[in-house]
Amino acid sequence: MDNKRIIFSNDEGGVSIIVPAPGATLEQCLKAVPTGKDYQVVDVADVPSNRTFRNAWEMT
Amino acid sequence: MAIILNGTTGITTPDIDSTAGFDGEDLTGDIAAARITGALNATGSAPVYACRAWVNFNGTSTVAIRASGNVSTITDNGAGDYTVNFTTSMPDTNYAIIGSTGTDSNTNPPSTFNINRIRASGNHVDSTTSAVRVTVDPSSNGDSKYVSVAIFR
Repeated sequence: MDNKRIIFSNDEGGVSIIVPAPGATLEQCLKAVPTGKDYQVVDVADVPSNRTFRNAWEMT
Repeated sequence: MAIILNGTTGITTPDIDSTAGFDGEDLTGDIAAARITGALNATGSAPVYACRAWVNFNGTSTVAIRASGNVSTITDNGAGDYTVNFTTSMPDTNYAIIGSTGTDSNTNPPSTFNINRIRASGNHVDSTTSAVRVTVDPSSNGDSKYVSVAIFR
């Protein structure tokens, strides 16, 4: 999971991104997804590194 | 002393009690406690309480955990807003949350560290046995390159 991220829409209208600790498993990462939330597993390269407008990010 | 594996009669192990440093009588009670505090270089009679979870992560650019213990993930909730998720839950929510944050340039102002707060709205959010929300307020973009959190209980 080191090169993956899990993304979901949060209750504030933005996007939350779950960042795994080195060696963390998918099962451990999914425990951080709030119950009932839809999520996507994406490559870390798919998450923008420029965070200037971080709070304006949306899931597509 | 070597451990001998014998497919016919089972496993033969050394006599633990007779092995230097492994006297079973010494591994319990006050003597064991003294050995533990000694190994931790703790002097005096004050008790020692261990860190139950910790993490050091980069909150800028591609957010990533540098190193951690009993932290499986962090959740990047937005600018300067993160949730630390424990691998094994705490016994209750009365734990102490210790944190630090640092700026990453000569021009950005010093950063502050807060807990139980949603940064975008300013609303309160309770800690749980499995996670704690932390926020940092450093520069205009609201991220911090160095964030550390430690949990004591």
